Amino acid sequence: MTAAPSRWRRLAVQLVQHAASALPGARAPWADAMRRELDYIGDDPAALQWALGCVVASYRARLSQWFSLRPTWRQVATSGALMVLIGLALQENAGGQTQPPWPACDEPGASRISSTPETGSSPRPAARSDGLKHDPTACEAISATDRTQEQEPRSR
Amino acid sequence: MPRKPNNSRQTRALLAAFLEQSATWRHGYDLSKETGLRSGTLYPLLMRLSEQGLLESRWQEPERPGLPPRHVYRLTAPGLTLAREQELAAMPAERAGALA
Repeated sequence: MTAAPSRWRRLAVQLVQHAASALPGARAPWADAMRRELDYIGDDPAALQWALGCVVASYRARLSQWFSLRPTWRQVATSGALMVLIGLALQENAGGQTQPPWPACDEPGASRISSTPETGSSPRPAARSDGLKHDPTACEAISATDRTQEQEPRSR
Repeated sequence: MPRKPNNSRQTRALLAAFLEQSATWRHGYDLSKETGLRSGTLYPLLMRLSEQGLLESRWQEPERPGLPPRHVYRLTAPGLTLAREQELAAMPAERAGALA
């Protein structure tokens, strides 16, 4: 009768099985080699350490296989990934900016925003799609206050 | 300047371990204990040396029943040459001259 494997041993076996499945198919004998070596390691912590190393080894083998692909395919994949990233970055920066902002009150022509004498029509749409509304009287009120402040020192 | 292949500290340690018992077939765990390399470093090295034709491998029947066959490794002739070259390169100049 054999003792049941400990939790660490079971975990080690699962890790080595995962490592074997992660290794590229051409390296199947190496996966078997790593898996079978585990049966010769009596110490459970050492077996677990071995199994973790096998996972690292299989990932490294997979990565090295990826980098050894034909350069053409590698370049195509890299360019595609780069284009997707650039597209995402542009979309992120352009988000929410659908209409130009209203001019500030101190900008020339801000108080004349409601109508233009040349055309007699409003240069901007009456309502913005984002729900904000321009209040031309606010700019005119500010201009009137400025004029009053400029005239006060002269009256003294 | 391109890096010289098979010249890392880990590869040199592994080649030196093989060279010590050049005629003996060695196991992965055995090599790991001798060189201090963990399996995550050891197996990629073994795979690479094998693909370069510097290492040969085979399955060895177990000595005790109930255990699975074991993968064992040994340097090929070019592997032995490389290991000897690296050993000479690692020696102090005067000692290397006396041996050569």
